Amino acid sequence: MSRKTERLVNLTIALLATKRYLTKSEIFRTVDGYEGTPESKERMFERDKDDLRNLGIMIEVGTFDPLFEDESGYRIKPENYQFQLGDLDSKDIALLSLAAEAWRGAALDSSALSALIKLHAIGIETDAEALPDLAPAIISKDANLALAISAITSRTVISFTYLSETLQEENRVLEPYAVASRYGHWYLFGMDLDRKDLRSFRLDRIQGELSTKGRAGNYEIPQSFSVESHLLESRSQQSAELYLRSGRALALRTRSTEIFDKKAPLGWERVSIEYRDQERMAEEILWYAEDAVVLKPESLRTSVIESLRAGVIRYG
Amino acid sequence: MAEKQSTPLEKAARLLDLVPYISTHQGVALSELAAEFGVSESELLSDLNTLWMCGLPGYTPLELIDLEFESGFVSIRNAEILQKVRLLTKDELVILLVGLDLLIKSIDPKRVDLLHAITGLQTKIKIIIGDIATIAPIVNSSYRATILNAIASRKNLQISYHSLIRDELTKREITPIELMVDHGYEVLQAYCHHVSAYRTFRLDSIAEISISGIQTPLTTSPQDDEAFQMEINISKRIRSTLERFRIAVSSDAAARSGSFTAFSFSQDWLIRSAMSTLAATEVLSPISSRVELARKCRKTLDLYESALFADIP
Repeated sequence: MSRKTERLVNLTIALLATKRYLTKSEIFRTVDGYEGTPESKERMFERDKDDLRNLGIMIEVGTFDPLFEDESGYRIKPENYQFQLGDLDSKDIALLSLAAEAWRGAALDSSALSALIKLHAIGIETDAEALPDLAPAIISKDANLALAISAITSRTVISFTYLSETLQEENRVLEPYAVASRYGHWYLFGMDLDRKDLRSFRLDRIQGELSTKGRAGNYEIPQSFSVESHLLESRSQQSAELYLRSGRALALRTRSTEIFDKKAPLGWERVSIEYRDQERMAEEILWYAEDAVVLKPESLRTSVIESLRAGVIRYG
Repeated sequence: MAEKQSTPLEKAARLLDLVPYISTHQGVALSELAAEFGVSESELLSDLNTLWMCGLPGYTPLELIDLEFESGFVSIRNAEILQKVRLLTKDELVILLVGLDLLIKSIDPKRVDLLHAITGLQTKIKIIIGDIATIAPIVNSSYRATILNAIASRKNLQISYHSLIRDELTKREITPIELMVDHGYEVLQAYCHHVSAYRTFRLDSIAEISISGIQTPLTTSPQDDEAFQMEINISKRIRSTLERFRIAVSSDAAARSGSFTAFSFSQDWLIRSAMSTLAATEVLSPISSRVELARKCRKTLDLYESALFADIP
């Protein structure tokens, strides 16, 4: 077991130390651990290269003389091997460490641990006193979050089973672009290859584990894509006006602005509130029953009234 | 917990990270090193023994990494090639980017220095991996820190709590017990001195929080019972409605028939949820809930039918 580990470390050292490309035969001759028939050495080397790539170590392939069809060689450029966030001060390290700590015990626990080790290995003492007392935490343990992030960073197509609004299992094939958490839920964004359109999916509605299809690097995320702007554009914002009973409907109240220039019944305030999804907005208004009355838009008011009429008939 | 055996690849990654770490922490105690890397001391010793066999081609003592660790303290020499801290993988950069999002929303806007540092780091990271992950936190990280401090130091907390169910904001003195996750939301289980009973508080509904000096020994223990239930029939928007009632969604046949049982510690919560989803849900039992819903629907509809509540410009 440890022979393999040793060989991987020795290969890394040899490829990092060299100033020129090393040919395969040079590697087999000088790096400790390549044994057996030429074919088995070859297989070992191919596996080792894949393994190092999985550790984020980029092996460069090149030739000695670009003018001649030479045997190709390998090396690791130091700038592709070493910590890439540039010079950091103790405040930066403290902030990044805290950011990594947020994932302890959550979906990406092992990445959090390895990131922390690297940050600590820089060897700058952090001054915890310099930061306010914060305990950031990601609580999702959803294995699909880690799988989705890996697929995004490696540009690997994924497929999964998604539960529709009518509880039908739908198979989706996606070029994943981004993950985002809003209102306590994680969403996955990407190009739906069957529907040929950008779609978003709530991660906890995916049934079972998502699986990867094909090799890494099979697509590109368009330059123009940004999660932030996609989140904002997904639905246009509308404005509703409501009467709220004084001192009630607190959650709606905190998100609204009071309108003073129009009259409201005694004991009520008139407010305006922004929303994106009419059905959700209607549900939120009905949560407060006789403490919130929607005035406009007409379509929202009508849908609330219809629900109430149906309720009176059903329960009355 | 049983110790998990590392794969050769995990071990190799650890060796590559051990070199720069020991280089900047010469003379570090074995135990401290094991804790930092999340492995047992025996596994760490095996790592160091392997590392000792590694070096530049030639592998004479001149080329091999030189380690000393018999004394229980570790130092390293002759490891210049691996001395640089390894680059962060893309997955590691993602978690840092998201973690920084959590911090930025919880820092006092007056700490311009910190906010500036965070956006600077996020920009650096986005240049490498793109704008591919973000979180809008629903819980303030400083509130969580206050809770953890209170639990650790056995102090009470004063909170201002927004109850969605009762639709009110109340100040309460509570004795915190533990942080938990309930139906995907972070909650604090605590003894509430306001009602003299155990309660769970959603962290995202805490409006203000501070530690109070008083410590109250508890004589009872919490009871975990979702005492109330409601039989419902869902006719449309099944998935969204189930999520609202916190009923696990699945595609099995029973689920598609439309009949479900919802459970809660609060009768009010069930009624409000049913009211909220009037368009999709029919409550079958208990009868008392149907009566209450009829009353609420009638009362609310009366408002809509009154001239006072029409939008007269």
